[in-house]
Amino acid sequence: MTRREVVVTGVGCIGPWGIGLPGLAKALQQGLPLTSPIDRSAGYHRRGAATLLAACGELDLSPWLSPQQARRMSILSQYAVATARMALQDAGLADVRSDRTAVALATAFGPGTFTEQLARQILEKGGKAASPFLFTDCVANAASGQIAIDLGARGPNATICQREAGPLLALAHGAHDVAAGRADVCLAGAVDEMSPLSHAILDRFRALARPGGHGEVARPFDRRRRGFLAGEGATIVVLEAEASARARGARLLCRVGPTVRAFDPSAGRASFGRDHDALARTLLGRLAGTLCEVDTVVSSASGARRGDALEAAVLRAVCPRHTNVLVPKAVHGEYGGGTLAAALLALRGAEFGYPPACNEPDGALGISPASGRIEATRVLCSALAAGGAAAWSILEAP
Amino acid sequence: MSPSPSVVVTGLGAVSSLGVGVDRQWRAALAGRASIGPIGLFDTASHRTTIAAEVPKDAELAPGRGFSRAERFACTAAAEAVQGLPPAVLRSPRAGVFFGSSTGALHEGERFLAALLQHREGELAPLAAQQNDGPGTAVARMLGVQGPVVTFSTACTSANVALAAALDALQSGEIDVAVAGGADELCEITYAGFNSLRSVDARPTLPFRTSRAGLSLGEGAGVLLLETLAHAEQRGAPMLCELAGAGRSCDAHHVSAPDPDGTGAAAAIRMALQQAGLPPDAVTFVNAHGTGTPHNDDAESKAMLAVFGARSARIPVTSTKSLVGHLLGAAGGIEAVFTVLSIVHRQLPPTAGDEPADPALCLDVVLQQARALPSQNAGLSTNLAFGGNNAVLLFRSLGFLGSLGFRSLSP
Repeated sequence: MTRREVVVTGVGCIGPWGIGLPGLAKALQQGLPLTSPIDRSAGYHRRGAATLLAACGELDLSPWLSPQQARRMSILSQYAVATARMALQDAGLADVRSDRTAVALATAFGPGTFTEQLARQILEKGGKAASPFLFTDCVANAASGQIAIDLGARGPNATICQREAGPLLALAHGAHDVAAGRADVCLAGAVDEMSPLSHAILDRFRALARPGGHGEVARPFDRRRRGFLAGEGATIVVLEAEASARARGARLLCRVGPTVRAFDPSAGRASFGRDHDALARTLLGRLAGTLCEVDTVVSSASGARRGDALEAAVLRAVCPRHTNVLVPKAVHGEYGGGTLAAALLALRGAEFGYPPACNEPDGALGISPASGRIEATRVLCSALAAGGAAAWSILEAP
Repeated sequence: MSPSPSVVVTGLGAVSSLGVGVDRQWRAALAGRASIGPIGLFDTASHRTTIAAEVPKDAELAPGRGFSRAERFACTAAAEAVQGLPPAVLRSPRAGVFFGSSTGALHEGERFLAALLQHREGELAPLAAQQNDGPGTAVARMLGVQGPVVTFSTACTSANVALAAALDALQSGEIDVAVAGGADELCEITYAGFNSLRSVDARPTLPFRTSRAGLSLGEGAGVLLLETLAHAEQRGAPMLCELAGAGRSCDAHHVSAPDPDGTGAAAAIRMALQQAGLPPDAVTFVNAHGTGTPHNDDAESKAMLAVFGARSARIPVTSTKSLVGHLLGAAGGIEAVFTVLSIVHRQLPPTAGDEPADPALCLDVVLQQARALPSQNAGLSTNLAFGGNNAVLLFRSLGFLGSLGFRSLSP
């Protein structure tokens, strides 16, 4: 099979920083967590539970989505469709209605709010009270389907649910469809919403940073880390074959290099594993020649106690000593694909502030977050997931 | 164009309302014995209908402390599929798991929420699988794989999309072995949801019949062990058939209804044929999505007409959903199992139910008794889903394989 080189020609993103890359760039430059209180009015949270969320809040999506369209969608689908349109505009593509346009989207929890509302209708009023409107947009792939309907994208359409590894797995899946010649354009990325119920369940699994002690703050690679900050949002990139992108005079944001996918069976059902040697061996086995040229890592470190330890051990084993390691999840939290957008910013020479929450690096991990102006040319994006899945993708300056 | 390695099926595993194990499924399927009846998992008093294809309470499922039902279905089917395979083959970066699930642990999630609403704490452990990756990740952990583990959640095409991704990973050289399929469990959200769309037949489903009025929901798992031909030959594995092609497309038409013209489904069938390097005339049978909803069966018949022309009226078609119900994210898994068994045994199970086929669909629906198939077969397993998602797999007899085990792949 002849494989085509794949490039990113556009990006759209929304998150707790607002709409678009400039807002994220500003937030990452400041290095401060983008938090707001989680809605606890439903009574799902226990005493002492996490209280904060990196929430999107009230975003004005009207430039991308009419109020009539928005009313027919879950908040997850609204995020996805608006972000996909933003990405296409950034790529300079006006019309992608074709059976050669693919979609590959990751979501960790799917449309949580709609699912919860539907469940409550059924539990409180009986099965006959179920709303068909809620049901049809509460499947995990509703967002990728809504993108397809909105844009006329009739090519392969996939939704991946693999927790924190999802965004890179979706990127790799979409890139493969373009590389293999099944699609000319692919909208790939991640979308997540964090409902109060999902937040409360994550807290019960002791995944989130909680109040008390060293504070309710995500502290990647810090000795005081006790959990992550839940987030939400969407990042979607436009993937094209490099030759056709150049032929149409597109601006190339980066080239999508190889992705390595792996699994650590030592992980628990809701926790990270410990077999960093095996993960590093797999990564080196596939990318040994490339890893030595990586100058920047956009890390999946989130403040999770075991997750960050595993991440640090793998990075120490595979990366050159002076590689910049960025920890954007200290700012935008976990989920929503923000790390993918952060990687594109690193390749643009953006400035990353040192997250004050990480100012006591865990000496046992041997990694300190980088800061300052990052002029990356080859980025290793890392994604280790609770449950054991892992993915790493290389993004290169074009 | 360059050669792409052939991929063969070397193991099967299944759990459904017919029970546990491939042999049990096959015997019942050949007899056209449906297993759709009253639901015991939850109270149906407040629902519009009362029946589904539920896995029997006494089914011998793999144990799993704190596991969801879907995780247990998945692990049970996967354990059967890999029987005879040395465990070391799977405990490797050259082995992966590709799974589909649409509901994850939604039944347990509903129980947890119900308890919360009554100010009680429900059982937390099964919610580790609430994110739809639960079943596939449980399989990966049980088998100790170290390669790619990916869960697809594209509603009713989830398992077919997963099997297509496994085919990609094997043909690209990333891995030698894949455990692929899907698992899903019954729950009130999907039951009430499909009922709210008036898509559930109060009777056992009657795909492709004039009086068809909807689907019967089911649950369970279907899992295939896939290997590159070279790997299977090297270890002397028993080979069942070849997974020769996969096609994926999107209707971009409606979030829950299929394109009435079947255009997207036809595109997916064509893509699968193209990848396999086969003309439409080579197809000898179709295990259709065949949900029994008026719109689906109509759209599917139009897709077949678009691809096969007048021959679509002469290609034997069955819907194994009439036997085990609609397994949603696992449908592609269990239906792939039936498709492979049809090729191996050269018999196509009948579509259950006593009514004659709807003449308006112009399909040769296999009814009443199993149909004998030719010695060499190319069978399609089709799935259509919410979001306009279409995914089609093409399996064929081993006799199609070239002497070198390689074939051309059209991009």
